[in-house]
Amino acid sequence: MSPEQTPSTLQLVRDARSWLLRGRLPVATAVALLMVTLVANLLIAENFLTAFNIRSIFANVIPLAAVAVGQTVIVLGRGIDLSIGTIATLSSVVTVSLVEPLGLLPAMLVGLGSGAACGLVNGLLVAVVRLQPIVATFATSFVWSGLALYVLPPGTAAAPRMPDVVVQGYRNSILGVPNAAWLLLLIALSWLVLKRTALLRHVYAVGGDEQASYATGVRVVRVQIMTYVVGGTYAAFASFAMLANSGSADALAGGNLTLVSIAALVIGGTRLSGGAGGAGGTIIGGMVLQLLTSLLVALRPPTDIRQLIDGLLVIFALALAGLWSSRRGGR
Amino acid sequence: MAFLAMRGVDKRFGGVIALRDASLHAERGEVHGLLGANGSGKSTLNKILTGVVAPDRVDITIDGRPAAISGPHDAHGHGVAAVYQELSLIPDLSVTANLVLASEDARLGFLRRRADRERAAEVLGRFAAAFPGGNLPLDVPIGNLSPGEQQVVEIAKAVARRPNILVLDEATASLYSAQVEVVFEVVRELKAAGTLVIFPSHRLGEIFELCDRATVLRNGELAGEVTLADTSESELVELMVGSLARPAGRGHQVATQERAARLEVSGLATDRLRDIDLSVRAGEVVGLGGLAGQGQSELLNALFGSTRVRQGTMEVDGRPELPRHPKRAVTAGLALVPGDRTREGLLPVRPILENLTVPSLRRRSRFGVLSHEREREAARSAAEQLQIKYGSLDDGVMTLSGGNQQKVVVGKWLLTEPSVVLLDDPTKGIDVRAKQELYELITALTTDGVAVLLNSSDDDELLGLSHRILVFFEGRIVAELTGDGLTAERLVAAALQVASA
Amino acid sequence: MNTAQLRERMQAVEARDLLRHPVVLSLLVLVALFAAGNVAAPGFASFGSLTNVLRIAAFLGVIAAGQTIVILGGGEGIDLSVGKIATFSTVIVAQVSQGQDERLLLAIVTAFAYCGLIGLGNGIGVAYLRIPPLVMTLGMVGVVTGIIRVYSGGQPEGRAPAMLSALVNGTTVGGIRGSVWIWLVVAVFTIWLLRGTTFGRRVYALGANRRAAELSGINLQRNLVLLYVASSLYAALGGMLLLGFAGAASINLADQYQLISIAAVVIGGTTLAGGVGGYLGTAVGAVVLQTMRNLLIVLDIPAAGRQVVNGIILIVLLSLYGRQRRLRQ
Repeated sequence: MSPEQTPSTLQLVRDARSWLLRGRLPVATAVALLMVTLVANLLIAENFLTAFNIRSIFANVIPLAAVAVGQTVIVLGRGIDLSIGTIATLSSVVTVSLVEPLGLLPAMLVGLGSGAACGLVNGLLVAVVRLQPIVATFATSFVWSGLALYVLPPGTAAAPRMPDVVVQGYRNSILGVPNAAWLLLLIALSWLVLKRTALLRHVYAVGGDEQASYATGVRVVRVQIMTYVVGGTYAAFASFAMLANSGSADALAGGNLTLVSIAALVIGGTRLSGGAGGAGGTIIGGMVLQLLTSLLVALRPPTDIRQLIDGLLVIFALALAGLWSSRRGGR
Repeated sequence: MAFLAMRGVDKRFGGVIALRDASLHAERGEVHGLLGANGSGKSTLNKILTGVVAPDRVDITIDGRPAAISGPHDAHGHGVAAVYQELSLIPDLSVTANLVLASEDARLGFLRRRADRERAAEVLGRFAAAFPGGNLPLDVPIGNLSPGEQQVVEIAKAVARRPNILVLDEATASLYSAQVEVVFEVVRELKAAGTLVIFPSHRLGEIFELCDRATVLRNGELAGEVTLADTSESELVELMVGSLARPAGRGHQVATQERAARLEVSGLATDRLRDIDLSVRAGEVVGLGGLAGQGQSELLNALFGSTRVRQGTMEVDGRPELPRHPKRAVTAGLALVPGDRTREGLLPVRPILENLTVPSLRRRSRFGVLSHEREREAARSAAEQLQIKYGSLDDGVMTLSGGNQQKVVVGKWLLTEPSVVLLDDPTKGIDVRAKQELYELITALTTDGVAVLLNSSDDDELLGLSHRILVFFEGRIVAELTGDGLTAERLVAAALQVASA
Repeated sequence: MNTAQLRERMQAVEARDLLRHPVVLSLLVLVALFAAGNVAAPGFASFGSLTNVLRIAAFLGVIAAGQTIVILGGGEGIDLSVGKIATFSTVIVAQVSQGQDERLLLAIVTAFAYCGLIGLGNGIGVAYLRIPPLVMTLGMVGVVTGIIRVYSGGQPEGRAPAMLSALVNGTTVGGIRGSVWIWLVVAVFTIWLLRGTTFGRRVYALGANRRAAELSGINLQRNLVLLYVASSLYAALGGMLLLGFAGAASINLADQYQLISIAAVVIGGTTLAGGVGGYLGTAVGAVVLQTMRNLLIVLDIPAAGRQVVNGIILIVLLSLYGRQRRLRQ
C-alpha cells in the first residue's frame, strides 16, 4: 500500500460524490421536478402560454415564495416558524389600514416593522427563553392572528383597500416580463445578497452544529434571533404581494401559507434539521407547487378527486425531496 | 506571577465533583502538559479556561490581569483558543468557512470571501504536509475529510486566531504519525513565537517529547506540577494514579485449543474490511489490535449486523448466521458493547432498570405484557454481578459514574445469556477500579464458555486479557499473535507494519 | 448534621423536585385557572363546570394520546395528520352507519381499518423511506383531505347513530358524561401500554437513544411503523367520540386538533426530543387547554382578544417547563 499514490483520484471521486450528495442533488431534484411540471403544463394546459396565465402564476407564487424564503432562513438555523403565515396576515392588515392615514410608503414601512417585530418576539422566545420552536411559534400564531382580527375585524363595512396603482402595477408587465416575475427575481437577488453576509454564514454554522458554533465563538443566541427577524421581514414582503394581488386584506388569509412554505423548502432541498440547503431551491419548490396547482386546474379532473390528486402529487414531491435531504446522518 | 494563572477552581456536575480547588500556572513560550487519568478533571479545567463550562468558582489571571470568562466569545477576547476532543467543525461548511468561522473578514456585515480564503490558505499552509500531496482542501466541505484531516483543520482553526494561549485537548488522538509530526512542528514554532500551548494528553511519549512542564490532576485536585526534564515516566504515572497500581489482567491463559468454535467467520468484507477470516472458541478471548481505526470497530459492528456486510459467511455455534440487523444478531446469541457509550450504549434519559432490561424484554414478558417483578429481579441480579453502585434502579442512568454507566451497558447483555460477546473498547474513559471489575467479568464470562472478541485502544489491556490477538491494518488482518508472541513489542511492530525485531 | 436534619433536607429536596415535575406543575396551573375563573365568574370552579370541561377535553385527550406515543418515540417524531385522520373517521362512521345503530359496529371497524392504513402510510414513509416525520405527516394531511373529498363527495352524509351519541353524551352518576368514562378507560389503557408492555419500553428506548435501542436488538423500522399506526388509531377513536358529540360529520370537524394536540403533549411534560414523559401529563395538559378555552369564553372577551390571550397563556405554560438545555453547562 502506498498512500501517496491513490489520494488524488480518491479525493476526486470523493469530491464528486459529495458534490452530488451534499450540495447539489437536492437542488437537482427540485429542478427536475420543475422541468417535469413545466413540461406537463405545456403539454396538457392549452392556455398555459397565454400572457394572462403566466402573469397570474407569477402573481400567485410571490406571497408563497417570499414567506418560504423567510422560513428557509429560519429552518437553516435549525428553527421553524409555524406563525409565519399569521405574521404575513398581521402585517397585511396593518399596512392596508395605514395606507389611508399615512400614505403608501410609510404604511409599508410600518408593515415591514410589524413583521420584523413579530419575528423578534419569536426569536426571543426560542433563543432566550429557549422554548421549542414548534410549540412556541404555534402559540404566537394565536397572538398574531388575534392582533390581526383586532386591527381589522372581519366584516368591516368600509374595508380599507390598496391604491389601484399597486393592484394594477402588480398585474402589469415591463419589457414583456410580468412585474410579478421581476419581483420573484428581486426575492432571489435578496437571497443572494443575504447569502454573502456573515450572518447567513453563521446561520448555516448554527444549523449545522449549534454546540460547535458556540464553542467557536459564534453568537448563537443573536444569530437565532436574527433568523426569526429576517423571516418575519420576508413575511411582511409577502403581505405586500398578498395586498397587491387581491387589493384588500383578509384577517384570515395567510394562515395556510405556513405549512405550504415548509413544503416548498423541503421540495427545494433544504434540510429540516438545519445547516444545509438554500432559498434558491425554495423558490423552485414554490414554483413546483404553483405549477402543480395550475396543472390540476388544466386537467379538469372530476372535482371530487382533484384534491386527492393534489395531495398525492405534493406528497410525492415531498417524498422525493425529503429522501435526499434525510440521507445524511443515516448509515 | 505566571502568565496564565487559574486558582481555586471548583466545579460540580450535579452530585459529581469534577474539580476541587484545582489550579494551573503556565508561562509564555512554553508547552505545558496537562495530565491525569480519565475523569481527573482535565477536560473540565480546559473548558473553564475556554468558557464552555461555567465554573462554580474560579480565579483566572492572564498576563497579570484578572480575566472574567463567561463564554467562548470572552475567551477569544482574552487570546485563548482551543482544540477539543469533540470536534467543533461544521460538516457542511467548507474548510475555509470553518477556519474563519466567527472571525470572518466582513465589511458592513458582508463577507470578504477572497480575504477569508487567503487567510485560510495561509494558516492551513503551515500544515500542508498533513494532507495528501500537500494540497490544501480549502473548498471541500469538512465532512468529506478523513478524521485525521479534520483534526488537523481543527488545530489550524485554533492557530488561525493567533492566540496567546492555545489549548490542544487530546488533539493528536486521531492523527497518523506523519500528521502528528506536522502538528508538533507548528506547536514548536508557536512556542518559539511566545505562545503558551497547553497540551492535555494521555500519551506520555508525546508529553515528554513536546512539553517543558506539566500539571498533574487526580480526582479533580492538583496532584503536582513538574518539570519534565527532571521527572521520570514512572514518577509521572505515580502522580496520576496515586497509590492505585495498574491492573494486570494477565494470568488466565486457559488452554482452549480443544473447545469448540462458537464464532466462525470467513471471507467477510464490508466497505472498509477485506478478507476477514477468524474463529473464536468457547472460553477464548480474541483481541483485535493495531493502530486506532484500522477496522476493528467496523468488524464488531459488521458481525452484529449494524454495518452492511458485502460478502462472507459467519457461523454461531455451527449455525450459519449473517445478521442483517442487530435484532437478528441478538436472537442468534451475540452481544455488542459499542465503542461510544453515550451515543450507542445508553438510553441517557431513562432509568437504570430500563437500560439493563432493554435487550431481554422478551424473556420477561408474555404476549408483550411485562412482568415488572421478574424484570426488577433480573436487573438487580445483573447489577449485583457487576457490582454496579446505584441508589435505586429507578434513578436515571446518567446519575451513575462513567464506570458504572459502562457496567450497565455490559450488564444488559448478561441478561440475554449470549454465546458471543463483542467488546468495542469497553474500558475507554472509566476509572481504574471499574476497569478491574470489568476485567474480572470478562474472565468470568470465558469461564462460562462465552466467546469474546475484544477491541481495545489500550495495548496493555489487550495483551493482558487476550489469548490471541489479530492485528489490523487498513481493513485487513495482517498478523496473528499467539502464545509467546503476545508481547508489546510484537504488537507494536505488527501494528506499524515494520519487520519484527 | 443529625439524622432529623438530614431527613428534613431530603424532604425539602423531594418537595422541590415534585414541584418541578411537569404533571404536578400542570395540575397546579389547572387549579390556578379554576381559581381565577371562579373569581371572574362565580361558579366556574363548580363540579358541574369541571365535568363539562372534562367532557370536551376527552376528544383532545384521546387524539393527543397517539401524538404522545409518536413524540415519545423520538427522532423528531411528530404527527401533523392526527386532526385530519380524526375528521376522516367522523366522516366514515357517519356515512357507513347512516345513523343506524345496527350499522355502528361495522362503521367503527371500517373507520379503524381505513385510518390504520393511513397511519401505516405515515409509518412506512418515515421508517422505510426515511422522510422526516414533519414532512411526511404534513403531506399526508393533503392526501387525507383528498380522500375525504372522494369518499364523501364533498358533502359528508349521514349522522351519528343514536347509540354512539348516547355513549358519548349520556349522563351517568354525578352528571358525568359518557365521554369522560371512555376517556378514563383510554387513559388507563394508554398508561399501561407505555409502562407495562414491551411495546411501551421500546417506544421509550427508541426515543431516548435510537442508535442504542437498535444496537440492543430493537427493530427500529417495524416499531416506528407501529407508532404511527397507533397514533392514527387513537385519532380515529377521537374522531368517533367527536362525532357522537357533534351529531353530524363535516369535512373539517376535527382539523383543529392538528397542532393543539402537540401543545397538550408538551404542556404535559413530554419533551419533543423524545424518551421523556408519559400520557398522564398529556391528559392533564388536555384538561388545562380546555379549561383555558372555557375560561376565555366565560370572561366574554371578544374573539380577537381571546386569541391573543390564548396565545400568551400558551407561551406562559410552555415557558414553565417546555424549556431546552442551555448551551453553556
